[in-house]
Amino acid sequence: MKILKVDKLSIRYKLKEGEVQAVENVSFEVNERDVVGIVGESGSGKSTLAYGIMKLLPSNAYFKNGRIYLFGKDILKIPLEEIRKNRWKKYSMVFQKSMNALSPVHRIGDQIKEALTIHQPYLSQDEMKKRMERAMRMVNLPLRVLKAYPHELSGGMMQRTMIALSLINDPKFVIFDEATTALDVVTQGQILDEVKKLVENLGLTAIFITHDIGVIAEICNKVAVMYAGKLMEFGSLKEVIYHPLHPYTKALLKSHPDFLKPGEEIKGIRGALPDPLKSFRGCVFAPRCEFASEMCFEREPEEISVEGRKVSCFNLSEVSK
Amino acid sequence: MKTIEVKNLKKYFPLRKLGKRYYIRAVDDVSFSIEEGEIVGILGESGCGKSTLGFLISRLERETEGDVFFRNQKISGTLRLPKDTRRRIQLILQNPYDSFDPRFTVGESLLIPLRIHKIGSHDLERKRKIYEYMEMAGLSPATNYYERYPHELSGGQVQRLSILRAMLLKPDFLVADECVSMLDVSVRADVINFLLNFASLSKTSMMFITHDISLGSFVSNRIIVMYLGKVVEIAKAKEIVKNPLHPYTRILLSYSPVLFEKRKKIPIKGYVQPLLEKPKGCRFFQRCPFSQKECSEIDPKLVEIEKGHLVACHVVS
Repeated sequence: MKILKVDKLSIRYKLKEGEVQAVENVSFEVNERDVVGIVGESGSGKSTLAYGIMKLLPSNAYFKNGRIYLFGKDILKIPLEEIRKNRWKKYSMVFQKSMNALSPVHRIGDQIKEALTIHQPYLSQDEMKKRMERAMRMVNLPLRVLKAYPHELSGGMMQRTMIALSLINDPKFVIFDEATTALDVVTQGQILDEVKKLVENLGLTAIFITHDIGVIAEICNKVAVMYAGKLMEFGSLKEVIYHPLHPYTKALLKSHPDFLKPGEEIKGIRGALPDPLKSFRGCVFAPRCEFASEMCFEREPEEISVEGRKVSCFNLSEVSK
Repeated sequence: MKTIEVKNLKKYFPLRKLGKRYYIRAVDDVSFSIEEGEIVGILGESGCGKSTLGFLISRLERETEGDVFFRNQKISGTLRLPKDTRRRIQLILQNPYDSFDPRFTVGESLLIPLRIHKIGSHDLERKRKIYEYMEMAGLSPATNYYERYPHELSGGQVQRLSILRAMLLKPDFLVADECVSMLDVSVRADVINFLLNFASLSKTSMMFITHDISLGSFVSNRIIVMYLGKVVEIAKAKEIVKNPLHPYTRILLSYSPVLFEKRKKIPIKGYVQPLLEKPKGCRFFQRCPFSQKECSEIDPKLVEIEKGHLVACHVVS
């Protein structure tokens, strides 16, 4: 079953200085029980895409074109009331900055309970308590956290609280936006394990936004590589990580040291992300690409799609040598 | 000659809670040494005292007890050090934007330390030297970058400048505290390569503080693993990765995400909790899946198991 279908989506921000193309012509699909990883450098539009899917974009952003089908419904067309009813119940999100996402003046328990009372008011008090305790155990937090205020918790504990909060209504689809980036390796590993269990046991579908390719390799079965708002490559984990086609994916993998392969050189990507306010000709990655030919600077490569795998590049034969 | 020698170094931070005095044992009885030209990685989770150790050695923080020697010369006991010693020990911090004055152009920020330490006879000569280093760092044309303010540059560029600033003084010892963890992977690789090239050119010893095992083992010759203020394992970087002995190191490695291999994770209980009371036994005892009876009673000492491989664990030894 298709959970999410993003079709030629473009999102832009209106600023005083002009328009920022945060997401440009992105299309991909997420099936049930998929865990899709979205990788990219900071500023590549990963978070904007997630906020777009959740319809939580700030007021200066707008959908230029495209469609988002979530559980078969076009969420750009259905009224906000209906989205509000389902958001956090059918689908939820773990935000990047947990400190800013929790209210500093309410106890953690009350904040989690609010999410339950709004979406499942028919539950008894006992049942709610049981569910809250179960959620706490799931993310390996002691029950006393429910009585605590956010300032009493460490960053890692707050992040885990956010994950518990996002899972409290047993959603079918969750977006994790850099959810484990600030955590220690052990805690991160534990949470990734929990998410894996949820996918296997409860049929959860998830999107994992991160810039750590290691995390992607650990948990995802599909990978989307984004650069400057565009989808560079999309496919299964095995294909994208082990047999990358796009020069950007290749370069990204080369810049990542791996302790299991000692002695291997690492190499960065020269240059920086293009200015999002300026419009450009040709492929966005061309100025930083090793393989760029004249054509790359003139025309934008079209997306080549074969059996669910997508890549946008002119020089595929050159790159794969 | 040993560049840095640390003997029984301790740092306790006092804490008042409910009218009682407690101590956070950030660094507790740590001893090790760094040879000339060696790069030592300090590995550990947040709160293990790795940054405090960096501050103690770079003499920004006064120790509670213990000694630090820099080229056989005692530098602990006081924070008032000869100017020349200060020059020889440099520090690179995590957030490059915080370590540059936002109201100075980056060039000025690089010039001031040279003036203080009287390197070069006049500003023009110093400027020329800065340009030369900037070009080496790939920031060209240097005259253009010299006039910019930190906020006009990208994180990778500013971090490269902060490495430059340290390297311009030709230090003998460099503390790099999570110096690339804020940068994107694509930029990170270049900054690391640049730092390593510079260090090997001038034979600078380095203490590379990180929480990333892949990065730590890539950069360092030797790795020191810390847990709650204690050193739990010291070994060559390759050895740590291939043959980790301490349960904590093994767990840390098993949880680190890697690209090309599926590994089994070793289960671990609980989470890091700051120690307020002095623990009786091993600090890792409650979370350790292999713990024995004596672990809760006797604090394990660092023992050399193989040549150059030291472990503090009852179970292993």
